[in-house]
Amino acid sequence: MADATPYDGPILEIDKLSISFFTRLREIPAVMDFSVSVRPGEAVGLVGESGCGKSTVALGVMQDLGVNGRVVGGSIKFKGQDLSTLNEEELRDIRGSQIAMIYQEPMASLNPAMKIGKQLAEVPMIHEGITEQEATKRARQVIEDVKLPDPDRILKAYPHQLSGGQQQRIVIAMALMSKPALLILDEPTTALDVTVEASIVELVKDLGKKYGTSMLFISHNLGLVLETCDRICVMYSGEAVERGSIEDVFDTMQHPYTQALFRSIPLPGANKTDRPLVAIPGNFPLPHERPNGCNFGPRCDYFEAGRCDAGPIMMAQVPGNDRHATRCLKFQEIDWHAPIAAAVKQEKSTVGDVVLKVDNLKKYYEVSANKMFGGSATKVVKANETVSFEARESETLAIVGESGCGKSTLAKVLMGLETATEGSVLLDNKSIEQVEIQNRDTKTISSIQMVFQNPFDTLNPSMTVGRQIIRALEVFKIGADDAARRTRMLELLDLVKLPRAFADRMPRQLSGGQKQRVGIARAFAGGARIVVADEPVSALDVSVQAAVTDLLMEIQRTEKTTLLFISHDLSIVRYLSDRVMVMYLGHVVEIGTTDQVFSPPYHPYTEALLSAVPIADTSVQKKRIVLEGDIPSAMNPPSGCPFQTRCRWKTEVPGNLCDTEVPPMRTLAAGHQVKCHLAEDILMGMEPVIKTAAE
Amino acid sequence: MELLTWSGAMGGFLNPILLVAVVAFALAFAANFVLTLAGIQPGEMQINPDHTLTLQRTPSDYALMAMKYAVLLAVACCCAYVIGGLVMPSADARGIIGGMASRLLPVWIGLVVVFAVSITFKRRLGLYGKLFDSPIGMVGFALVMFWVFAALFADMVATHGAIDVFSQMRNEVPGSPVPVAREDAYPYYLLGGDNLGRDVFSRMIYGARDVLQITPVATLFAFMVGVTLGLPAGYFGGKLDTSITFIANLALAFPVILLFFLLVTPEIVAAGIPQYMSLVLFIFPIVFFVVLFNSRFHTQPMKRNLFVAITLVVGGISYLSLISDASNQDLPLIFRLWPEALDLFDVPGNILIVFVSVVFVNSPTVFRIVRGIVLDIKTRDYVAAGQTRGEGPWYIMLWEILPNARGPLIVDFCLRIGYTTILLGTLGFFGLGVSPESPDWGSTINEGRRLLTIYPHPAIPPALALMSLVLGLNLLADGLREESLKD
Repeated sequence: MADATPYDGPILEIDKLSISFFTRLREIPAVMDFSVSVRPGEAVGLVGESGCGKSTVALGVMQDLGVNGRVVGGSIKFKGQDLSTLNEEELRDIRGSQIAMIYQEPMASLNPAMKIGKQLAEVPMIHEGITEQEATKRARQVIEDVKLPDPDRILKAYPHQLSGGQQQRIVIAMALMSKPALLILDEPTTALDVTVEASIVELVKDLGKKYGTSMLFISHNLGLVLETCDRICVMYSGEAVERGSIEDVFDTMQHPYTQALFRSIPLPGANKTDRPLVAIPGNFPLPHERPNGCNFGPRCDYFEAGRCDAGPIMMAQVPGNDRHATRCLKFQEIDWHAPIAAAVKQEKSTVGDVVLKVDNLKKYYEVSANKMFGGSATKVVKANETVSFEARESETLAIVGESGCGKSTLAKVLMGLETATEGSVLLDNKSIEQVEIQNRDTKTISSIQMVFQNPFDTLNPSMTVGRQIIRALEVFKIGADDAARRTRMLELLDLVKLPRAFADRMPRQLSGGQKQRVGIARAFAGGARIVVADEPVSALDVSVQAAVTDLLMEIQRTEKTTLLFISHDLSIVRYLSDRVMVMYLGHVVEIGTTDQVFSPPYHPYTEALLSAVPIADTSVQKKRIVLEGDIPSAMNPPSGCPFQTRCRWKTEVPGNLCDTEVPPMRTLAAGHQVKCHLAEDILMGMEPVIKTAAE
Repeated sequence: MELLTWSGAMGGFLNPILLVAVVAFALAFAANFVLTLAGIQPGEMQINPDHTLTLQRTPSDYALMAMKYAVLLAVACCCAYVIGGLVMPSADARGIIGGMASRLLPVWIGLVVVFAVSITFKRRLGLYGKLFDSPIGMVGFALVMFWVFAALFADMVATHGAIDVFSQMRNEVPGSPVPVAREDAYPYYLLGGDNLGRDVFSRMIYGARDVLQITPVATLFAFMVGVTLGLPAGYFGGKLDTSITFIANLALAFPVILLFFLLVTPEIVAAGIPQYMSLVLFIFPIVFFVVLFNSRFHTQPMKRNLFVAITLVVGGISYLSLISDASNQDLPLIFRLWPEALDLFDVPGNILIVFVSVVFVNSPTVFRIVRGIVLDIKTRDYVAAGQTRGEGPWYIMLWEILPNARGPLIVDFCLRIGYTTILLGTLGFFGLGVSPESPDWGSTINEGRRLLTIYPHPAIPPALALMSLVLGLNLLADGLREESLKD
């Protein structure tokens, strides 16, 4: 803003902040003794699991805690001014003009009934009182800055006419309209696809540099924070547990929680047989059941009774590092470089015969404009185009791709919820692609089962956990009578490592990870031989993710199950899968063993996908490949190669082959196939995207 | 004997207090209004560093406090009238209010027992128990239960029979003594007499019985029809959905009053149209339960056969008894086939009409609600899990989707009983519903309407009763909605 006087101190200074929510029953402390400072031009990451209070801090900065929330201690200073001393009107002046916030769900942040141009122009019109014409001019400028094509069309568009990535760019543009001094980003990319996420992150970084905005970046993804931020603050159960520069915290962490967090995420090098993930034992404490002393104490490997649970623990400065502090009494005694003790090596399971064979599968949907009267304008959505693959016994085949690539349609055809348009699906050499689920026999149904994505949706909220598993047993005709089925149900609970008492609980009494375990138990109720896992861990917190992944792997080893692991998270795919299949717009663009897919030669899309995944390791160097534009609509796919609209290698192909012809599936090495026109030598000459610096 | 006063012997003491309470409330309300206009806000809660709370009071707070205590005082007065009525020895001393309170003794006992038991065990009673956490829900529940108990104990509460006539008592004002005709009769008409000389108070109490017998059951039938149609429409979608929705829209657009008049037209009654409609209508519950049990237990044929057999036998006999009446020679042949010996009960034709019209009016709306909820719930993963398990569509609709739609449906059920009560009143008002002597509230209001300008007292009590029941149901629904959203 023009009237902003030069100010050198920290933009935002939070000092010993405590925030509580007051309910009828009790006071619930959400944030305790939290301090952080953001200097001009600096980006600070706020990391932690859900429920740790990171969003509450952001709302506290905005002074928008609702009717129940109150700041009960400490201060929040913005440019040296205590925000709690301001009245409503002064706060309104600051919000949106000096401090801007970007939320997780872009569609929910935009007014659906207002054109983009008008929404953007509103910001400077309210805060600076400039004319509408000037404001619209500035809106156009900002839309160009956030790299959206055709700004004039977008100014006149309504939010629903834009894609999710474009909407988030508009939200960012709106936040930047008044050139704020501080930008708060609350999980800005969680709802977006990886490649879109990568481009948004790139954009945020560039804009931060261009405008000199300070940023408070809230995320649960350590990799993202590494890519965007200068400093990081790790939160656990309402407290900051470690604070410091990215390098200090990532390389020489000084808090057991930070260490456990890093050990539970799949980094390159982690592997399900040689170096399995280490899940954090126990559960996140509820806000009103926090332990005495260190909150992390009950789950900590280094816990010392009588010392760690004696009384409140203060942040302590780590000697030698700049502004690096930790909330641990024993940080100078712990040997931070000790190897992981708990890591048990697992026998690599042997892969058996082919169980499932999908050949040339096609699934088209017909969409007509008017269902009742059968309008003439019938469009065809090509959800799956010539999908072919094999899956063997006790093998993990990962299916990777962004939303709209057809992976869910593939799952539906396998399950029998849809029938194939063309091609074949062979289960044990029996063709099932045209058999709907109603007509499948019990054995076929029970041998292909599914684990669903959303833990809060996967269980029927009005039926007990035991009842739901028993129902699956009943349908699969397992067990002679009710007693036998109940015994089997309890065994299944043992299998997924849940206490037997959970049989009589309602789903709402379970945490997300526990619900997902019940979902797994239900899928294995009929002795499933093929389990389609549709992003089973993507909605879970990192520390829980590791435990659920391990459980899946363990059951797979004992039951010799074939796992079709649908995911967009390449880190976890690299960790657990034997083979990987990459899909784009209904086509399989690359398939091969995990090593083959993750190292060159790549399909150009795989290359971009690999580069987009944030990796929480400072020693990893990545090549930046940012895909332009959005995924084309499956209703109107591009001619020729599906990826040609966004491919950066397109110029290397002679003639207009990419525009005209769908490339054939080419075998590069045994079991490694790529659907690309690129010449052999170019493919072979590709550089690896991810390089680990020599240690 | 003299005319009873409203408050009896307590009046001299309690009436001034009540007056003071009312005046104080009015003054405080006005003061609060003025203060708010002047921009004085209620005080805010301050949090001290030691985590204690301090409340700073402003004049506006004091006004609000005065309002609160005035209301409490008025409520205390009302309680005193009731308790006074119970303890006072003679009818003279009790007055009209006290007299009614003492007649309603079984109702008070019932309410106290229900509330005491429910509050003691409220943690173990699920959603019903949680109702007792919400003051609004409790008030609503108390109002509804008041009328339920009044209907239940109507024979003990009512002072005279519903159609007992004292010709001298025609249009007598409340509290008039009855000319001594019989020794055992109650000596007063507490709320006066109507234009035929019947006791207004007793008719109101017996009316509760009529209303509460018909409305919940009729509403339940409307729900059965709405749910049975709404589930497949929402779940399957497509042409089925389009056609059912179209029919529902037609039914909604049909003028209700015209339908009522059509249903009682002699030609239509003679043609047996209401009978045929009930033939279709009452089969829904049986179909509903058979499908419900079959979809759930088809994996265990023994259990399934047992449940389906019970449903068919019990439902079938009730159904046939309900629709047939062998003794009525006016009916078409198919309604006279069921032998009289097995005919457990006959439903009067006009009650059938009430059922048919209530279902006709309510089920399209219920259908739309159910369809909307199904459209939302069917995208959930547990529905997909059911599908991939190979469950049939009816299992998914009735056991996976319907239980999770119960929250909004229970709330709507409460509200809809309220509408149906009013509808029954409307029907009675048009002289279409139940028999002409029936004491149900709608008919009574209709009769009282003719002399309303001269004698308002016969029409007002049933109107207030109707109002309080509907209010109670609405508050109950509010409380249920509020509590079901928590947790």
